[in-house]
Amino acid sequence: MTGSELLVQRFVDQELSAEERVQLLVRLGRDEDLRQRVIALERLSLEASQLPRPVVPEGFVAQVLAQTTAPAPAPAWWNRFAASLWTPHVFEWNLAGAAAAACVALLAVGGVVVGVRSSSTAPNAPPTPVTASVAPLTERVLVRLVVVHPGARTVEAAGDFNGWNPTETPLEQASNGAWTVTIPLEPGRYEYQFVVDGEQWIADPFAVEQNDDGFGSSNAVLDVRPPTGASL
Amino acid sequence: MLVSRHARSILSVTSRMLGQTADAEDVAQETFVAAFRSLARFQFDAKFSTWLYRIAVNKCTDALRARRPTVSLDQPADDDTTPAWQPLDDATPEWELEQVELAWELDKGIEALPYIYRESFVLKHIEGLGYDEMSAILGVHRDTLKMRVYKARTLLCRSLAHLRSVRT
Repeated sequence: MTGSELLVQRFVDQELSAEERVQLLVRLGRDEDLRQRVIALERLSLEASQLPRPVVPEGFVAQVLAQTTAPAPAPAWWNRFAASLWTPHVFEWNLAGAAAAACVALLAVGGVVVGVRSSSTAPNAPPTPVTASVAPLTERVLVRLVVVHPGARTVEAAGDFNGWNPTETPLEQASNGAWTVTIPLEPGRYEYQFVVDGEQWIADPFAVEQNDDGFGSSNAVLDVRPPTGASL
Repeated sequence: MLVSRHARSILSVTSRMLGQTADAEDVAQETFVAAFRSLARFQFDAKFSTWLYRIAVNKCTDALRARRPTVSLDQPADDDTTPAWQPLDDATPEWELEQVELAWELDKGIEALPYIYRESFVLKHIEGLGYDEMSAILGVHRDTLKMRVYKARTLLCRSLAHLRSVRT
């Protein structure tokens, strides 16, 4: 998003200061395309706010009240679970089965211990966002995002690939303060940022291309090419 | 009464989130029933309407997942049942017809938005909420919501420009 686009979006959101409004008006006087864009956005905003609301059907309130006075049904999974508690079961054991169960239990405990050890944090150091690497799949491309941020407690990625919802793409802590995640992406162009500790949004400075995100910082741009000859 | 006061807003949200389908009314009812049943958990530091919106949005997400378990919520809905919309009292027939056409085009555009952009656009521009309240409803950072609304506006402007150029 360009500086002018940012001003326009903030204008539609009614967030501009007096100085910024003057700045926008000056730009509108010089740029016909920008003026048309503002008109389209304002028109959209107005029409959306004037969209008719649906009629509340007759009996709607009565039906809600009838449902609220009826006892709440127990969820089906709870019924099954409760029934299973009171249903007699016969457990048959033999030596092989017991040994297999013991192995599974040991493996599970081992996995938890390894996970706890690997989550310990490295000493503080300045963040060094790195870059992304790709490996081809049949239709999608596996993209590996890597950032070095030893002081971080959590690192997530937010971008066009997950609707800018950082919670959907958490990075895992690797060695030496590196954080990494591998995501399957269809070929295309994606913008993204890293989110450190749930609140600090940072771009990937090693990305080949960056775009102004319109909110005071930059988005890294990731071009994912088709699997044949994929490279960043 | 609480249901009467908030019914139109909640029905408006469920209708537009679910692409104006017949089960929008069911989901609106479920929203109020769920709210009544968990009234004891309502935090009085939040607005009641914010809490209701949050329940409605969650119910819409559940309904979409149940309707199409194999399809991502980013996919647009394609159901085409039309609900009853309320005309304004003082409208002329010509004005009303134009408004109906505009609303139809805009509703189609909103319906075609990816779900996460649609919910942000509906709350921002149809329900007129601020980003802070939207953040409380959706549990998403306000900067992320700004980005989603920006993308929704851009997509809608593009699709409406196409629709209108086809008509003229």
